[in-house]
Amino acid sequence: MATAIIMPRQGNTVESCIVSKWHKQKGDAVAVGDILFTYETDKATFDEESSVAGTLLETYFEEDDDVPVLLTMCVIGEEGEDISGVTPDGASTVSEELATSEETVEVAEEKSAATATEAPIAGDTAKISPRAKNRAKKAGLDAAYATATGPSGRIIERDIIELEKSGPSVTKAAATSYVSGTAYAGTGIGGRITAADTEKGGIAAIAVDENFVEFEDEKLPNIRKVIAKAMHNSLSSMAQLTINMSFDASAIMNFRKGVKAKGEELGLPNITLGDMVVYTTAKTLLKHKGLNAHFTVDTIRRFNTVHMGVAVDTDRGLMVPTLFNSDRMTLAQISANTKDIAAQSKSGTINPDLLQGGTFTITNLGTMGVESFTPVNNPPQTAILGVCGITTKVKEANGSIKTYPSMGLSLTINHMAVDGAPAARFLKDLCNNLENFAVMLLA
Amino acid sequence: MKYDLMIIGGGPAGYLAAERAGHAGLKTILFEKNNIGGVCLNEGCVPSKALLYSAKIYDYAKTGSKYGVTFEGASLDQEAVIKRKKKVVKTLVSGVKGALKANKVEVIDGEGIIEKRSDDGFNISCDSTTYTGSRLMICTGSVPIMPPIEGLKDAYEAGFAMTNKEVLELTVVPKKLVVVGGGVIGLEMASYYNSAGSEVTVVEMLDRIAGITDTEISKILKKNYEKKGIKFNLQSKVVKFTNNSVVYEKDGETVEALADKVLVSIGRRPMTQNIGIENIGVALTERGAIITDDKGRTNVAEVYAAGDVNGKSMLAHTAYREAEVCINNILGKKDRMRYNAIPAVIYTNPEVASVGETEETAKQKGIDYECANISMRYAGRYVAENEGGNGICKVLVDKKYNKVIGVSVIGNYSSEFIYGASFMIETEMTVDDIKEIVFPHPTVCEVIREALFAF
Repeated sequence: MATAIIMPRQGNTVESCIVSKWHKQKGDAVAVGDILFTYETDKATFDEESSVAGTLLETYFEEDDDVPVLLTMCVIGEEGEDISGVTPDGASTVSEELATSEETVEVAEEKSAATATEAPIAGDTAKISPRAKNRAKKAGLDAAYATATGPSGRIIERDIIELEKSGPSVTKAAATSYVSGTAYAGTGIGGRITAADTEKGGIAAIAVDENFVEFEDEKLPNIRKVIAKAMHNSLSSMAQLTINMSFDASAIMNFRKGVKAKGEELGLPNITLGDMVVYTTAKTLLKHKGLNAHFTVDTIRRFNTVHMGVAVDTDRGLMVPTLFNSDRMTLAQISANTKDIAAQSKSGTINPDLLQGGTFTITNLGTMGVESFTPVNNPPQTAILGVCGITTKVKEANGSIKTYPSMGLSLTINHMAVDGAPAARFLKDLCNNLENFAVMLLA
Repeated sequence: MKYDLMIIGGGPAGYLAAERAGHAGLKTILFEKNNIGGVCLNEGCVPSKALLYSAKIYDYAKTGSKYGVTFEGASLDQEAVIKRKKKVVKTLVSGVKGALKANKVEVIDGEGIIEKRSDDGFNISCDSTTYTGSRLMICTGSVPIMPPIEGLKDAYEAGFAMTNKEVLELTVVPKKLVVVGGGVIGLEMASYYNSAGSEVTVVEMLDRIAGITDTEISKILKKNYEKKGIKFNLQSKVVKFTNNSVVYEKDGETVEALADKVLVSIGRRPMTQNIGIENIGVALTERGAIITDDKGRTNVAEVYAAGDVNGKSMLAHTAYREAEVCINNILGKKDRMRYNAIPAVIYTNPEVASVGETEETAKQKGIDYECANISMRYAGRYVAENEGGNGICKVLVDKKYNKVIGVSVIGNYSSEFIYGASFMIETEMTVDDIKEIVFPHPTVCEVIREALFAF
């Protein structure tokens, strides 16, 4: 006599347990006292010992399945024994059904609201019960339009009954020229698809390769969880306002050209436009301390030095290492240190102490051609500067029109701490300083 | 007071639209300048059926001996026939009026003229009152075509030439009747007055009678009527009306046919003049019909049109369905007009009924079809009731889809069972499916089932 082994109930409040491990596989011999499977509640882990001897004839759940208590987990008996008596209804699919039940309901609602001739979801139409298939055929319905509510996404009779109500149905004559899954405009009686409609053609369903994988799931790595939390926290806790301004980048571009030409000869590091923006921003911020500040519930802390956070794009996600005391660095130092902390961030070897303590942040998307954006502030900082790409603009000088390279800056402030006008004044100063970069080198 | 729907014209399209709209709770007003029921109920389909039934009884009386029943002294009393016709019309018109009232439709006895678009929709003026409504439905129907032929105007004014209206009012059967135009109206009236005792001559411009009816059936019908004594002059063009004759040209010769009365029934045209549609810019075809889409919408938003006025089919039952399509769309229900399964009937004796394609139209459309053409004598009841009957039934099947696309029948009762063929066409059932349907036996309609087994 086959024996059904159930998922035990551990305590009154436990409604389901997760199967951590199967110690026996289907077909294995089982002795009394053998451990069949390990399962866990949210607090503890248990082993289920077998109370009977025999062969493990069938298992109904897989590892990592969340199984409601008292459901049959497996059956032990003699080989070849009929286990239909102890098989739970819809047995092997119980877990899938549970996992998808919520989703299915949503899809069904969406579907019924949709218009009758909406293209069906292309999929495995072979997943249909013979009874449903027969009914669909008799009623002149294309089962491809049915919303499957059966186990494992199988179309069952009730889905066809639903389809009979919501259509589209095909006349008997049109059945010969009808292509399953095609969205035709039905002009016949009661919106039926007629032979003439099929001749006009419809929107064919997109052919799907059987092996095509629609999506892949990836467990979130810790860094993504941290970023997600930080970003959400930022936007949900602040009144963020972004203002945009642009400046004539001729000065910094010419300077970079000069450094590039002479730099190697003089043993100078390669200075990027970004380095120059960081350098100038650090100098400028000292005159706008409201933006070089931390804002907490009852205090605003204005810093007398600039610890510049520099956003770095790494394979694992966004990281923001800090250039401490950047306002006191030379351009060459800024350049060398930025490269250094960026490299450490990318390799994952950066000291966690360097990932905090910033008083202001710069994020640079300019190299990717971004023209303006809304950087997300890094709390408790009060502002973040987005560096945009260079575009060609025209301006009037001495009565003539000339083109010039324009670089955009997007400044997001926490409006709870800083008002728009002081932010604009800072941005204006910054633009002026960048346009007169040579002078800044003397600052 | 603002209406949800204002309907101009109380014929089949207008009164049915009003009933449906009222039933659905729309505040509806209907303008009719003549009689509720329109041409169909007052001077067309319905009164002519009353007359034709009297003729049929008279025919039976005269030919009863073929069936072993002899009548002595049977006669047709034209005055009594017309009197009864009036009673039939009155009954049906009051039925329509009752239905309109039951559905809370406001009926205005007068000519509604579209004035303009207003902030609230549209304005209609009628007897110096202005009515405002958010939607408009134009159901003004059609009028007989009176061609500019010499003498016709005078002949009409003198009461010598008639339209469908006057011909149904004659209290004296004319000794000689000339019918100009061998279409449905012409043939039905020719049939009646032939039975009633007139010497009838039909003058038709085409080489056939009964318009778009199957050619073979049209020939059988003509043969039947020639046997009864009607003279047909086909390919004949009327050139002149005098005060007692119709002059026509045939084979290059000019012939003058003397007559006591002449019926002019060469067709009808949409009634779109003097109703103010130009005030809101409703677009017309070259022939003056209102252009509508398959939902009954005109080019002007919230203005619909149904019935003869769109010039599409000019049949009362088409008008009914078009009106329903309009109302359904107004109510936001999906519906569209289809013209592929509209039955047509000529209530002559024998009747002719058809729906869908004929061999001619199927050929024109390049449909690969097969036609079963069988004698009506396959139906037992037809044999029992039609001594010497020569009717046929033709069923056309689209070979590609194995579906019925057209049925034409000449034989009595066909008017009553042709809808069954409409059903087959409309639902696109395959021939194999229809073969599973049980027809009552013995009936005339069984002939369709017989024909289907030819496939």
